[in-house]
Amino acid sequence: MRCNPQHIDIEIDKLTNSIENVITGDRFQTDVSLIDKNDVKSITKNDGWLFNWKSEYKQPDRDVYKLTIKGNPDVIQGLISITEREDHVYLHLIESAPFNLGRNKVYLGVPGNLVAFICRISFHRGFEGYVSFTAKTQLIEHYQKNLGAISAGGQLMVINTDAALELIDKYFKD
Amino acid sequence: MGLIREPLDVDFVVDPRPLTEDEKKMISDFIKADKAKRNPKRPRKKAHTPNKA
Repeated sequence: MRCNPQHIDIEIDKLTNSIENVITGDRFQTDVSLIDKNDVKSITKNDGWLFNWKSEYKQPDRDVYKLTIKGNPDVIQGLISITEREDHVYLHLIESAPFNLGRNKVYLGVPGNLVAFICRISFHRGFEGYVSFTAKTQLIEHYQKNLGAISAGGQLMVINTDAALELIDKYFKD
Repeated sequence: MGLIREPLDVDFVVDPRPLTEDEKKMISDFIKADKAKRNPKRPRKKAHTPNKA
């Protein structure tokens, strides 16, 4: 496992929450954990992933987390890549698995689940929940509505303490 | 436990381009301002020194 021992501890390395099957409405408990070498083999463009996660994994300043269904750690539902900045956590990349994209997606809640997890990491690292990212222009409104993110100018978005607490409350209430 | 259901026709993707130094500063300035708004500094009260008789 690739991690920065100064910042990643067991508690935030694996948390349980849930995603929902679009058709049946059934909810499944999930885990979030750092990816490892074996994971990298199955998250390539040939497997339908849009971004180069191998390159992301290799960058020493980044942590890449995967979301999986509890008891099924081999099937990755979504990925997220982050860097620690001076005063917050910056979200480089987020992507749902190919089968969780578009109108035919299998599970709902994958991105929200991952972002809530990162907000929690931000609190654990002493950044009061602050998370930032660069939004695609056409998605700014969705981020504002669904994540409570605020525009910090242009495409830059920030999730502040209040929004982070709300997200964490939704996913990690237990 | 709640759940954020993204619309079926929306896939959450961020722009993967690297940030410029100006953009990094914009984010830091925004966070500073947001924190200041959340925790406004109260004016310091003057320490009370009892009058000596």
